[in-house]
Amino acid sequence: MSVLKNKATNSLLKSEKKSLFRFLVLYTTMVIVLMVLLSAFYYQSQEKFMLAEERATLSKYAYIQTKRLKVLHHFFDERDTYPRDSRFRSAIYDNEFAKIFSLIKEENIQFDKEIYIADKMIHFIETLDNYYLGARYLVIEVEDDTQWRAEIWKHIFIYGSVAFLVFMLFGFYLAKLFLKPMRDSIVLLDRFIKDTTHELNAPLSAILANIEMMDTDIMAEKNKKRLARINIAAKTVSTLYQDLTFLTLEHERHNEDEPVDIKPLLEDRVEYFNAWIHSKRLECFMDTEDASIVIDKRKFTRIVDNLISNAIKYNQRGGSIGIKLRKGMLMIWDTGIGIEKEKIPFMFDRYMRFNESEGGFGIGLSIVKKIVDEYHMSIEVESEIKKGTRIILKW
Amino acid sequence: MVKKFLFATVVLTSYTAAQNAYERHCVPCHASLPTSLQGMFMNHLLVYGGEHNFKAALKHYLRYPSKDISVMSDLFIDNFGIKEKSTLSDKELNEAIDIYWDKYKVFGKLK
Repeated sequence: MSVLKNKATNSLLKSEKKSLFRFLVLYTTMVIVLMVLLSAFYYQSQEKFMLAEERATLSKYAYIQTKRLKVLHHFFDERDTYPRDSRFRSAIYDNEFAKIFSLIKEENIQFDKEIYIADKMIHFIETLDNYYLGARYLVIEVEDDTQWRAEIWKHIFIYGSVAFLVFMLFGFYLAKLFLKPMRDSIVLLDRFIKDTTHELNAPLSAILANIEMMDTDIMAEKNKKRLARINIAAKTVSTLYQDLTFLTLEHERHNEDEPVDIKPLLEDRVEYFNAWIHSKRLECFMDTEDASIVIDKRKFTRIVDNLISNAIKYNQRGGSIGIKLRKGMLMIWDTGIGIEKEKIPFMFDRYMRFNESEGGFGIGLSIVKKIVDEYHMSIEVESEIKKGTRIILKW
Repeated sequence: MVKKFLFATVVLTSYTAAQNAYERHCVPCHASLPTSLQGMFMNHLLVYGGEHNFKAALKHYLRYPSKDISVMSDLFIDNFGIKEKSTLSDKELNEAIDIYWDKYKVFGKLK
């Protein structure tokens, strides 16, 4: 089985998700801004195109109206009726923009433009060479056929959606490209761990078996202490080995769910870590009631082992650890170094370590989170720097 | 005799006061011309447009009449010539032009 196909490696880490999310937000914003700008340019160009088509018609109307004004100008002493046309409305203004006569609805004429749209009306301004009736400007007004606008919006929506989709696909491709170096290093580390894990099993089993078989009754006190230290070291490596095996080979085996009596399991695991607890002169408080859970026992052991070993590892010499068990709740607390609040959401990420002074790969809590998620349990972390951490498991 | 002179003076003064600057200084001379004052107004309006331009151009022409800047046709000028320079005071001339504009302006007359 190739490490590249490892499910754990293929799923995104929280930090990767955060980088991906930030990139996509930035990229999407840029794409939206670009799309809006392009749409605005397209809309304006189409509006100009429509107005250019209208200009020819309106120029013809202006020419006709000018001729009528000319006639009225010359016969003004006999006639005083402004010429009207059913096809358009018009108005005349003098060279000081004072209104001489108007049939149009628009009051605020934009004399600096030749043609424009206002209040769903198209306005065309013709500058007259001869001031018939004193008029310098002739304004022609016709209704705006909004059909062209609906057509433009339709085009913007269709082409915009297609372009947005293409841009977003390109964005996803880019994001994958950017995340590849990060992903490659994780794959490399996974491969290394898997390869070394196989080599650890046989010597570790031999060490632990031989420690158990040693007759400590005839051993000098000095050697007993040495053996205890060897025992702690071997068990630490054993826990690490269990975690690494779980991480790299877990997907190859099926769950064997069964009702697990938690209290004896906890006592057994505390006994397992007892030598380590004593070596750090920790006080261990057990407050357990009978409780059970349906789970793969091996997986629940991984949770308990990781939480207890972290409570020991990051504790201060002479500190305390505690285990509280109730129906549906397991709490493991310590009086250790604690963790900053803003780092808590990332503490379950694989290879995430906040304290370089202690050994380890940073995989223990990621395994815990994986199992907790798999069995739909909840995990809460309460921590205060230099005071300690409480991890509460609920199911 | 004195009574007759006084009567004539009062009648003449009353007649003069009843007429405005336009009627006193423009209408009498133009009455004998074939083109009406309204016709000339429209010619002037055709060239100068708005009120400000119209009044400024007319005042200039009345002060410095010339064939080159006249709005009348060559035929008219050949037959009736160019008018004499106006000797009216600025106040009287402005008043006459204002009245002329108000009388024939297009504003408010179209239906």
